[in-house]
Amino acid sequence: MTGNLRIWPIVLLLGIVSAPLIIMYVFQVIESVAQPQPGTLMPGEINLHNWRFLWQELDRGRPSIWTATFNTFIFATTIALAVCALSSTAGYALSRLNLPGRPYFLGGLIILHAFPTITLIIAIFIVLQYLGLFDTLLGVILVKAALELPFGIWIMKGFYDTVPWEIEMAGVQDGASRFRVWWELVLPQVKPGLAALGIISFLQGWSEFVLPLVLAPGSETQVLATYMYSVIQDDAKLDFGLFKAIGMFYSLPVILVYLIFQKQLMNIYGGGTKG
Amino acid sequence: MTVLKRCTALVGVLAALTGPALAEDISVTVWAGGSNDSDSYRIDAIAMAADILEREAAILGEELNITVEGRRDFSGWEEFKQSVTLASEAGTAPTIVVTSHLDIAPWSQAGYIVPVEDYVDLDAWPLTDVYPNLMEIASFDGIQWGIPQDAESRPFFFWRETLEKLGYSEDDIDALPEKVAAGEYTLADMLADATRAVEEGIVEEGYGFYPRNNNGPDYAQFYQSFGGELLDPESGKLIFDRQAMTDFYQFFVDAAEAGVVRRTHLGMDGNQWYREVANGKAAFWHGGTWHYGRYETEGNDDFWGTIQFSLIPQGNENGRPNTITHPLVYLVMDQEDDRIEEVAAQLVAIATEPRINTLHAIQSNHLAVAQSQADIDLYRSSRWASEATEVLLGSANSQPNHLNYGAFSEAMYRGLEAAWTGSQSVEEAVAEVEAQLTTTIGDALIVR
Amino acid sequence: MSSRWLGVGFLAPALVAVLFFFLLPVVMTVMFSFTNMTTATGITGGEYLLSKSRLRQLEAEGVSEETVERLESAGYQITEQGLAALAEEFGEDRADELREDYMGESFTARRDLERVLRNLNDDPIRRTRDRKAAADLFAVTILDERFPTEPAFRDALTESGIDPADHDALVKTAYTGWTWTTDNFKLLFELPATLRYAMNTAIYVVFTLAFNVGFGLFLAISTFYLPQHLANTFRTIWFLPRILPPVMYVLMWKWFTWDTGFISTVLSVFGVTPINWMTESALNAWTVVVLINGFVGASLGMILFSSAIKAIPLSMLYASEVDGAYRWDQIRYIILPQLRWPVLFMTSYQTLSLLTSFEYILLSTEGGPGGSTTTWALAAYTTALRNYGGNLEYGFGAAYALVLVIIGIILSVLYLRFFNFKELVAKPRIEQ
Repeated sequence: MTGNLRIWPIVLLLGIVSAPLIIMYVFQVIESVAQPQPGTLMPGEINLHNWRFLWQELDRGRPSIWTATFNTFIFATTIALAVCALSSTAGYALSRLNLPGRPYFLGGLIILHAFPTITLIIAIFIVLQYLGLFDTLLGVILVKAALELPFGIWIMKGFYDTVPWEIEMAGVQDGASRFRVWWELVLPQVKPGLAALGIISFLQGWSEFVLPLVLAPGSETQVLATYMYSVIQDDAKLDFGLFKAIGMFYSLPVILVYLIFQKQLMNIYGGGTKG
Repeated sequence: MTVLKRCTALVGVLAALTGPALAEDISVTVWAGGSNDSDSYRIDAIAMAADILEREAAILGEELNITVEGRRDFSGWEEFKQSVTLASEAGTAPTIVVTSHLDIAPWSQAGYIVPVEDYVDLDAWPLTDVYPNLMEIASFDGIQWGIPQDAESRPFFFWRETLEKLGYSEDDIDALPEKVAAGEYTLADMLADATRAVEEGIVEEGYGFYPRNNNGPDYAQFYQSFGGELLDPESGKLIFDRQAMTDFYQFFVDAAEAGVVRRTHLGMDGNQWYREVANGKAAFWHGGTWHYGRYETEGNDDFWGTIQFSLIPQGNENGRPNTITHPLVYLVMDQEDDRIEEVAAQLVAIATEPRINTLHAIQSNHLAVAQSQADIDLYRSSRWASEATEVLLGSANSQPNHLNYGAFSEAMYRGLEAAWTGSQSVEEAVAEVEAQLTTTIGDALIVR
Repeated sequence: MSSRWLGVGFLAPALVAVLFFFLLPVVMTVMFSFTNMTTATGITGGEYLLSKSRLRQLEAEGVSEETVERLESAGYQITEQGLAALAEEFGEDRADELREDYMGESFTARRDLERVLRNLNDDPIRRTRDRKAAADLFAVTILDERFPTEPAFRDALTESGIDPADHDALVKTAYTGWTWTTDNFKLLFELPATLRYAMNTAIYVVFTLAFNVGFGLFLAISTFYLPQHLANTFRTIWFLPRILPPVMYVLMWKWFTWDTGFISTVLSVFGVTPINWMTESALNAWTVVVLINGFVGASLGMILFSSAIKAIPLSMLYASEVDGAYRWDQIRYIILPQLRWPVLFMTSYQTLSLLTSFEYILLSTEGGPGGSTTTWALAAYTTALRNYGGNLEYGFGAAYALVLVIIGIILSVLYLRFFNFKELVAKPRIEQ
């Protein structure tokens, strides 16, 4: 921002501390298509051998990557939609509507927001089992969406808080119901927030690992996280080239989303979610 | 075997006696734990058996269509057992699993598995051909729950070149297995040799002795080496032998203190472990008989010229040279429809036929489960299979099928880990394991 | 009035989700922690089963010798009643043959009777399953039979003529399901491992948090002084770990630290033996674990603090520069005071999430080497759901989890009081 300060020492310092990450990124990209000699960092021959998982089975007894990709996509989009839908209504109720016990809901929300959910996974398993949803995508989607809800409601409430009251007043005075006012006047005002929440929920769903691992162990319900983990853990081979190519494939949507929605993402994470 | 089930079985029988033969579609899922590509016959054998059973049915004029689906891409035993257990709880269990025989006790109590003896004739071939001790390992409480899928053991290995540098002649090395078996070469001798190998710079520090990198039946072998017994046959209770446990932990602590093995060895990366032992980085180690194939993958194509193997040496005068065989078994999971259980059990029996099982044994470097496999050319042609059987299986015992053995072995390993890494003294670690076991499984435990 | 109902309607779906996946699991975790639930007992309740190994325990439970003897020797007996049933289901001929040769005879093991049925002269029962069913018609024994309910089991005991005085003890021994107990908490207090997990958790939380806050501050302040495009580049570099899938992010670390990876390869040029820098020693493992989590957490600090710095009026900063303040003074007297609340918020928020998170540890060191990086949350997970022997101790694992639940609730209530409620509520906002 200012002219009288030298920049290069800062850049140098930042460059040094960022070096591990930069190295990881660079080699992640290079080695996904390279065949380096063991013990060297030279890329060697460039080809698509590492990407063979896309057109052939890695080994028998493993679902195809396309099943996993499809599942992950369904998983992430459904979660995003569910979180958006439920948060936009609940957030509005907490922000604007005359609700019995509203302060308690708000306090409860904050407690939930910081709750050790993952340690409750045994109990969550039982709930799913009683609902008959164990080992189904729908089951994990419900759980993941529910766990994301407090954050979503929180964010949406924040957005509704910034919408001027005058807009609603005007609507109500015109004789519209509160529901119509919300749907036609208020909701459009918070569209950017809803979009950002959708993106984040999508990313959270896309990355989720432990929940599908425990709650949906069947081959029909594998997602990319569990697929990639089991390829890495397979102790018959250590093939970083292959792992990296799968990782690249898995991360591409994330990087695309980041490039497109950079600004919104940075801002909404300011609200804080995972640590 | 509930009352309810007896009834449905009868209904099934009646239906079978009176009903007309219709096309029957049965789908069977097989989940195999701890399996990678070379273990593909754990699933493929069931598919082959399905083909045979369908043909048999066709000859009898029945139309039987069996679809077999397999899955073995579990990240590890941990995830496999988690998946099977939770799926069984939820009623979405696979039809057949290939797993450790140790799971029989808890899973039978929980009602997750059904006895194969309810559906297949144990007095008929091929089950009469299976080694009786292996059949015994696949049974619990007098009931034949499963059928052995393969056999193996977890021998001790020596890197020949290192021994030569330590002054052993080739004859000495060739005679080692016998010396070990006779109790003339003990773990103390091994530790002395390993220490020398490190001190003289023949191997690097931490590479004198290179044990298994994570929990497994292998460690119970060392407990036995120092005089520990796992089960009291009289009372059917597990035995916690304080002295043996102390000596067993102390051995690993001594090894770590001598710089022969790293304090942080446990939990190291498995692939690195394979690569290093296959290429002579370590002087002594122990591992599974099935690692034989892996050595080649890791670039050692002269196993016989580079590696010697034996029983796990005796630890002290209380113990004995020993090895543990830890067969995997085929288990049939509880299904709503008994007919599926029946077909599954029959498939498992067919998959046990010598020729089919030999495919697995040789492809994955495991040992035979049935006597006549020794007559099959494919099996006979494998030097490893025959020598390993000869040297090891005679003295091999297995871990007990006991309801609480899982807790016992987990606690024993945790204690070893704590002592080995130095986070507890040997005495503290033994005391903690004892305290934990008396609290959790006290009724089923004898403390000596 | 209508707005009230609309509010209830709007909130209801979220409340249902919260009920099913937060409140209910919490209540159940409390319950489980007072049970001895494991793989063997199952979760959903047990049945009644007398097996050979259970018979052995009976005398210790005070059951009379006579009863044990009776249970053990009952076996299978060829009686008219059984033969009648056999005749009905498997034909008169078979029943007749059996009556002729074996009337009144007993078999200890079902297998012996099955052999007889298999070897009938006229028309042996060929299918194994049918033979079992036929043999069961002659069962006197109740061994190895599963009874779904207690009354059914008691009836069977009565039928077998077992001394009623022994029924209660038998019922207790035969039950395969879980029972209530407080042993889990006793164990938790007694086991030295508990203390180790607590210490590990403290190390993990304190160091990761220190890194997150310190590094977040450093990133926020340093990028603040950079031109826009440079600042954005660095922010992107540090932001990616937060959104990359954990499995993928940890893979990069494995490549970076393992013996075939970057550090070892570079160091081998200088003659250093390749080692696994992630698990070589407890110190290494902790460093890597803290960095893996820290690189993810620092970005949150960076974003939070950056936006707080942006809120400082530029005129204040310009004024300080006119006064000739050094950069350090500017940071110290103007910027840092502004960051007090965000730092506090981040500290309290991340303490909670670090306490309960184990995903990155599970993926990288798996709690090793030698259990040195096993935190409380990871111990809860491995105890209840993930260990080599498949010995899943749901009850004990729930006791671990319950401790975290309690700490979580206490901390968040404290935070609620400590932070101005309104300010917290107003915090998350997206600027457009």
